[in-house]
Amino acid sequence: MTREMTVGVGAGADHLDTTEMVLNIGPQHPSTHGVLRLKLKLDGERVTACEPVVGYMHRGAEKLFEVRDYRQILMLANRHDWLSAFCSELGVALAVERLMGIEVPERAVWLRTALAELNRVLNHLMFLGSYPLEIGAITPVFYAFREREVLQGVFEEAAGGRMHFMFNRIGGLKEEVPVGWTGRAREAIGLVRKRMPDIDKLITRNEIFLARTKGVGVLTPEKAVAYGVSGPVARASGVDFDLRRDEPYLAYGELKVPVVTRTAGDCHARFECLLEQVYVSLDLAEECLNRVDAISGPVNVRLPKVVKAPEGHTYAWTENPLGVNGYYLVSRGEKTPYRLKLRTASYSNVQALATLLEGCLVPDLVAVLGSMFFVVGDVDK
Amino acid sequence: MELPGKGLLKGLGVTLKTMTRKNGVQQYPDVQPDLPARSRGVIALMEANCTVCMLCARECPDWCIYIDSHKETVEVPGAARARQKNVLDRFDIDFSLCMYCGICIEVCPFDALYWAPEFAYAEGDIRNLLHDRGRLGEHMAHVPAPDAHDPMGEPSKEESTAAKKGGAR
Repeated sequence: MTREMTVGVGAGADHLDTTEMVLNIGPQHPSTHGVLRLKLKLDGERVTACEPVVGYMHRGAEKLFEVRDYRQILMLANRHDWLSAFCSELGVALAVERLMGIEVPERAVWLRTALAELNRVLNHLMFLGSYPLEIGAITPVFYAFREREVLQGVFEEAAGGRMHFMFNRIGGLKEEVPVGWTGRAREAIGLVRKRMPDIDKLITRNEIFLARTKGVGVLTPEKAVAYGVSGPVARASGVDFDLRRDEPYLAYGELKVPVVTRTAGDCHARFECLLEQVYVSLDLAEECLNRVDAISGPVNVRLPKVVKAPEGHTYAWTENPLGVNGYYLVSRGEKTPYRLKLRTASYSNVQALATLLEGCLVPDLVAVLGSMFFVVGDVDK
Repeated sequence: MELPGKGLLKGLGVTLKTMTRKNGVQQYPDVQPDLPARSRGVIALMEANCTVCMLCARECPDWCIYIDSHKETVEVPGAARARQKNVLDRFDIDFSLCMYCGICIEVCPFDALYWAPEFAYAEGDIRNLLHDRGRLGEHMAHVPAPDAHDPMGEPSKEESTAAKKGGAR
């Protein structure tokens, strides 16, 4: 069927203007680290509205927690955010220990702190490699994974796993580290620290990378706070908040934790924050390992055969690599929790995309998306 | 004013530097990876130690251990009554379900289960990932000696038992 149209003065406004278009990014898009769907409204190349649609990877973790005992929960907890397994199981352990009134042996506390910081490095290295990859720089990911390999070796020697470490237990750690492990861990830290400038030199000041990220996707501190954004993403916007310093848990109270912040709030600032945090975490981990070497004693406590948290509730929060993770534990004295609510960093970080992507161009979309540093498993739980 | 292209050149410098270094590639099937003793590759079963107490199957977070058994009466010469003994009929672990958490190994009171750093058991058919007791027993060949603990911490279960036995002798 043909349509006749008279083009004259003023016809553009009626017939030739662009119409709004709804575009779905995902759920199967390589830059979403899983299955996140973004419903975009486009006016030409410009995004006018963005709605993140989450839940494609919902596994009902919170409900599963309610039918697992506390040891089994650790196994589930280290899986929702597969890049920060140690830190996630740690949060659950801290909540249960607080409710049960268990005092964790000092050696275990320092070992946990060291491992949590190493896990942070592992997590950040992943994003330091994958983010440039998403916007077209293929090389940094190889350097990032070279360093990850070294640190995963350290974890594997102690915990036996490379991803789902399962090394925390209620009251401490699974077992003592092997003889000479602290020395080898320090060597690995030294090696990674020595080679980290490679990633820095490769990409941070690269002109193409700068053009893609500088001034793109600016998140204001007000918006960051309003959306509950935390971790390196919020700190890149100038939100000076880090639980390791502001509400110390583990051994952070005795450590001086330098908080890395930027004020620009754009994609490049977020990347820089991540990069500098790696150095900070390596230093902290090394300091913890030195302390571990000076403290003797057990790394766990003897538990009753059936671990039951007494009736009550508690809220523990930790500074996970991606931001603040919260664990609200309600117990009715059973061996399973009555409710264990999970507040994950990625979930809030993803919500901010709605405001961040508004008004940005489609070519910038992946640059902004990747710079929010989230794991979809952590969003959907 | 920075030199245009300086960042790119710096990056290329890193590439050039890496090019001159020896690479760390291991030719996998020819060179086997050197895995630590604690590496969680596969679960091995020492059948002689199993008393069919079912603790592992009960504590498994996703119930991927299947155990069947029957009771047998054993006449012990000199004893007043015949003893009942559990005999294992089936001990299967479904590695397509297993989450490799190691809880079964931790709860086993008689040390019948062990981790082995064996990993090359991928299958074309998912059903073949169900390892029966024969297969699980074969994995025992890969179980390494446990590594010694850091002297600053508590010795391992194996170390302290060995010390006790040595002292009694």
